[in-house]
Amino acid sequence: MARFAGGKAPFLRISDQKGKSTNTIMRDFMIAMLPVILFSWYKNGISVYLDGNINFFEMLYPLFLVIMGGLLSVVMEGIFFYVTDKKNRKLDDILRKLSTSYAAIPGVILALLLPLYTPIWVLMFAAFIATIVGKMLFGGFGHNIFNPALLGYAVVGFTLSGFITDAGGVFNGTEVLIDSYGGATPLGIFANFRNTGEAFSFAALVEPYGNLWDFFIGTIPGALGETSALAILIGGVWLVARKIIKWYTPVIYVGTIFVLSWIIGAIAGDAGLWFPTYSILSGGIMFAAVFMITEPVSTPTNALGKVFFALFLGVLTVLFRFVGNLPEGVGTSLILMNIFAIPIDTYTGIIRTKVFRKPGLSYASVLIGVLLIIVAYTIIASVNMYTAFLPIINIWQVI
Amino acid sequence: MIFHKAKGIQIDGKKALCKKHPLVDYLNPNTVYIPLVHRNLKLEPQVKVGDLVKIGQVVAQFKTYASFITHASISGEVKSIKKVWHSSGKMVDAIEIENDHKNTLDESIKERKSVDNLSRDELIDIMKDAGLTGLGGAGFPSYIKYQTKEKIDTVIINAVECEPYITADYQFIIKFPEKLLKGATYMMRAADANEVVIAYKNYNKKIEEELNKLSDKYPHVKLSPVKDIYPAGWEKYVVEHVTGKTYKGLPAEAGVIVNNSATAIIYADAVEKGIPLISRPISITGEGINEPKTFFAPLGTKVSELIEQCGGYVEGLDPMKANYIAGGPMTGRAIFIDDLVMDDTLGAVIIRPFITWDYPECLGCGKCADVCPVYLTPTEIKKAYERKDVKLLDLLDANKCMQCGLCSYVCPSHVEISEAVGKGIDLLKKGAK
Repeated sequence: MARFAGGKAPFLRISDQKGKSTNTIMRDFMIAMLPVILFSWYKNGISVYLDGNINFFEMLYPLFLVIMGGLLSVVMEGIFFYVTDKKNRKLDDILRKLSTSYAAIPGVILALLLPLYTPIWVLMFAAFIATIVGKMLFGGFGHNIFNPALLGYAVVGFTLSGFITDAGGVFNGTEVLIDSYGGATPLGIFANFRNTGEAFSFAALVEPYGNLWDFFIGTIPGALGETSALAILIGGVWLVARKIIKWYTPVIYVGTIFVLSWIIGAIAGDAGLWFPTYSILSGGIMFAAVFMITEPVSTPTNALGKVFFALFLGVLTVLFRFVGNLPEGVGTSLILMNIFAIPIDTYTGIIRTKVFRKPGLSYASVLIGVLLIIVAYTIIASVNMYTAFLPIINIWQVI
Repeated sequence: MIFHKAKGIQIDGKKALCKKHPLVDYLNPNTVYIPLVHRNLKLEPQVKVGDLVKIGQVVAQFKTYASFITHASISGEVKSIKKVWHSSGKMVDAIEIENDHKNTLDESIKERKSVDNLSRDELIDIMKDAGLTGLGGAGFPSYIKYQTKEKIDTVIINAVECEPYITADYQFIIKFPEKLLKGATYMMRAADANEVVIAYKNYNKKIEEELNKLSDKYPHVKLSPVKDIYPAGWEKYVVEHVTGKTYKGLPAEAGVIVNNSATAIIYADAVEKGIPLISRPISITGEGINEPKTFFAPLGTKVSELIEQCGGYVEGLDPMKANYIAGGPMTGRAIFIDDLVMDDTLGAVIIRPFITWDYPECLGCGKCADVCPVYLTPTEIKKAYERKDVKLLDLLDANKCMQCGLCSYVCPSHVEISEAVGKGIDLLKKGAK
């Protein structure tokens, strides 16, 4: 007679197989960020170096910043493990804990969110906020409420942006050293429009940076990682192909913003498709759509929750951008929505069990939700009811 | 699309392990232990220590609102009543019978001459007297299903066997295809149904071949292949696949009775020869076994004897790094001591070495919710359980869980999520009282 080990059914686990565990998911996340990192290196380092404007070491700086972001986070988390756990202070123990904490990812995302020439000490402070405050104090990986990278970014953005300006980069994007890309960011110009109340025009919004193709490729000013929709989409396709993120979360988010900005553009006097396209390609929307609203820990778990999350987040982003006064609508709205991920999870969990037996009902409810949001939003965003219904009234008159 | 219907996932079956050897008869163990427990019910022993019993003699029974009997599976002397390890994971009392190797049959075992004239009630009585239970693993007494007042249209013989590793049903059918068809026919008559459908996995071409050879003699038996996914053999899936109907409680609501294929084969013997349920097929398999085989063995046989027949454990097997699983790997139980006794619910014993690694925390990927066949959200149920929130557990419909184990299976962080859901259900039941 031999004594066997205990265990709980099921005894087969997909995670015991090679390449099916959380480690692989996190590795794939890193791989998905590679195109973005490489593009930002090319745009901010290599291409400028080839023009002869900076020296060799300055060329390496964008890459250095990203690597520092990841490295600083890992080191800080290691120190945190050392300080908090008195019994397990050997290097092996700390390395083992780090291997299931995935500290590098928020660090790299954080660096990609910051502009070029952010001072290293600011990055260090941001990494501290991100990993220690945003993640470890909440209980470590899997327990954080906020997206750690985003929290670090938001705190730095709200409190230390002056230091970034002094160091030679204007927060949110003006890369002064890169001569060809001088000037305010697209969103900065956009803010002027909002304040003066003029109609949006293609000439003022897009033409200073080339055309919409440049927006797509990413050769416009902006933070390190957020400018190139192309590089981000490559990463996104990889993530979807590896079944790590759901395709519909980014699509619904970007789609909501597209539709709502189209309506706003129409109200403001130009119903051209360029405006919503410009709207989704400028700022951090693409980056957030692929890398941040799909981050599993701080967003809802189930399919219905993900749909609602993306939907409301899109509405909030547009609200912050066009109506509110805070900088960077994406980050602010995402932090706000992170808080609601928990109730969304609970309530969609309840709704799922009752409604999912009939998928048609779920689709119908989401469709009704979308319509309600669009209608309600149109009313809010317009100056008064009359202007909101102006396009509709115009169509009536045509008929 | 987004709100797709979860229809299970394909799991590497590892059934080839056990398919190398055909079904092995192992009918004469030296001792058998008939457990005095069935589905949490205590059975009353009907024999005393020192009695001589014959094959098929009633040795224990249970009689209150429903009756259930078990029979001696070998002939010989009752040695003692002692505790043995049962597949439920507990030690239970069992009647120890020592084999006298004479194979004397009880008087009740005799061939029936006119099986064609048996009425529905007589067929159900045969089921009851044979102590026939569902051999798929639940062990529900079969005759209760047939006493339903609903109008039954279809009897489904479930030969899907969707759990990985197990090949007991498959090899039993390959050996006795005609008995399966006969048993299916009798079941159809016992339920007064119009049709009988055999559901099996579509890659099991051999079942199809064997049954098609006999299709001239049994034209009323239909075949229905199902996809190779887990849990395709779940009663609700099988019923929906075959008839397109769904139901809430029992399949009888949809006019369907579902029986396991091994049950049908045993039933054919019970009707024609009067042999009660005294033996069943069992797979002894897993990576920890030298030569995995499927046996046809009397109930009460010690599993260790069967493992010996398989050449024992593989060399260098560390028992503390291996699971001894009673039942399938997805829903079975880990047994601590390898001293298990076979009973009618035990379709397989799997010895499987496992690996451990540093499990990360739940990252909230939502894979568990995506695969759940009943659209639960396991992560939320786990959280509600940890907060002991009975009301929320009820709102989340935790008790609809069928405990297929898929949520734990797909979890990339190796979270014991189905265990947490199971505890949540217990809490809900306690709280509801």
